[in-house]
Amino acid sequence: MTTTVERTQASPTRTATLRTLASLEARRYARHPLFLIGVALLVWVMVSIAKGLADGTGDAQILAVADGTTVPAFFLGVLGVFVGHRLTRSMARSGEAVEASPADGVIRTAALCLACLVPGAVAMVWLAWNYVAMAVWPGPYSAVISSTNHAAMLSAGVVYAVGGPLFGVMVGRWTRFPGAGLVAAVVLVGWTLLSTFGLLMPASRVGTLVHLNAPFATWVSSDSSTQEVSWVAGGSPVWYLVYVTLLCGVAASAAMLHEAWGAQRSRLVRVWAILVMLALVSLALAAASDPTRIPLLPG
Amino acid sequence: MTAAATVGLTGITKKYHGTTALDAIDLSFQPGITGLLGPNGAGKTTLLRIIATVLAPDTGNVRLLGRTPATPDELAQVRRRLGYQPQEMGFPRAFTGFGFVDYMAVLKEWTARTPRHDEVRRVLDLVDLGDVATKRVRALSGGQRRRVALAQAMLGDPDLMLLDEPTTGVDPEQRVALRHVLSRAGERSTVLLSTHQTEDVAALCDRVVVLDQGRIRFDGAVQDLVATAAGRVWLADAPDPAARASWRTGTGKHRNVGQAAPPGSERTEPTLEDAYLLLLGDRARTTEVAA
Repeated sequence: MTTTVERTQASPTRTATLRTLASLEARRYARHPLFLIGVALLVWVMVSIAKGLADGTGDAQILAVADGTTVPAFFLGVLGVFVGHRLTRSMARSGEAVEASPADGVIRTAALCLACLVPGAVAMVWLAWNYVAMAVWPGPYSAVISSTNHAAMLSAGVVYAVGGPLFGVMVGRWTRFPGAGLVAAVVLVGWTLLSTFGLLMPASRVGTLVHLNAPFATWVSSDSSTQEVSWVAGGSPVWYLVYVTLLCGVAASAAMLHEAWGAQRSRLVRVWAILVMLALVSLALAAASDPTRIPLLPG
Repeated sequence: MTAAATVGLTGITKKYHGTTALDAIDLSFQPGITGLLGPNGAGKTTLLRIIATVLAPDTGNVRLLGRTPATPDELAQVRRRLGYQPQEMGFPRAFTGFGFVDYMAVLKEWTARTPRHDEVRRVLDLVDLGDVATKRVRALSGGQRRRVALAQAMLGDPDLMLLDEPTTGVDPEQRVALRHVLSRAGERSTVLLSTHQTEDVAALCDRVVVLDQGRIRFDGAVQDLVATAAGRVWLADAPDPAARASWRTGTGKHRNVGQAAPPGSERTEPTLEDAYLLLLGDRARTTEVAA
């Protein structure tokens, strides 16, 4: 009961604390059951698509641009909203002991935000797998979409996988309501569904803006009445990628803002405002691009 | 407040929705163990929360460890030397005892893995939880959870330890063991112990502060408080209706705690609990008279 160990703690820095805490939070994220379920579903989809393509029943173009973003958006992004929210709220149980520690709320929140790179890493594997699959089962999409735009479309899946959890962290910081994670996920999915009205509108910049303002937009759609033709939505995938990446920054800075005070708060408010402005500009640039829809193949 | 005080509070007032939790409190604490006694709602937890820097007073000055925690930097400097066990402490579901204390150690800026793990094992051993460190916290008993909470407060041998009811739900054997640990801590640190267990205060503390309705009712040595009950506790065959408190003991005699022992009664040595009851009883009578 009375073992004595000499205290050997080196003089701490905020960066070292952030690094260590982020690594702990990343491990917590990676072990979260909902994340593991999402990864399992992702792997299951990978195997299913590969089997379908191998036996000729699959659709290489869907692989390339539709499922390429939808799958990580749902399995890692939407489920990630819950994970981010739960991880954030879980330490609230030990609230005052945590609050009385020298690692302030901004560092703790920043560590949680960094942990959201874990699903991003899984989405990177998914992205790489997509490229391998496209090399094995090539489709005609390369003839109609530039490689840059194609890469931007697929890369958005990685950003979705990070953005969902970041949104969960932000909601977890700003609300105490236990069901807020569910509400946040519903809002995110609802926002994305509402934005699909833009795809029902005639091809125009307004329609593109309605479609692309959602944080989880998909690029491939089909004729709403006949289902005969699949097409790629108009707008700039590159600027859209910039837009959703900036939204991640907006969510992270908003989450940290909750815990900040004094000069740190002022700095974060400025960063947040700049990110919001840049996000809006990026969205405008994404929507200002050519709204023409590109047919992919007859259905 | 002396220059060497670890904690210096001047004119601390805190109100919750119009109810005064602390009313112009002046206190200072130095290394050693001080017990905070008082009925529920007396302001003990509020006082500890203010000293723990998790709650700001409405008015008054707080100086901790030679600093005024008014800026983020000063706050961090104070918190590096502070250990706090809150009254109510929940634990994230997935954590083991070791995992939780390890997480808290990272928050306390123990960034290097090996010394951190050594320190976590040390504090868990101190509270006799070394054997169950790998169990999920939710699988531990209430007393064991209290000891996990205590372990995190002891990380790094803080200069200022604030313990809010650390022995609640802990079995007698463990309480005695914890007394040993806390008495060792009190040799070098300033330990504030808020509790309802007067026997813990009597066994551990050299000083006791009794709070009631947000005010200090007593501040002094434990034996001085006990001395206020001298001659006011006696054993009798029947309970005394005029006594502040009276109960039948295991010997069949009634222990009466009152204003003065009646002539010819069998006087007995007062305990801290007797003195505490009398102190609060005097307050109740004063209030009645004033009303």
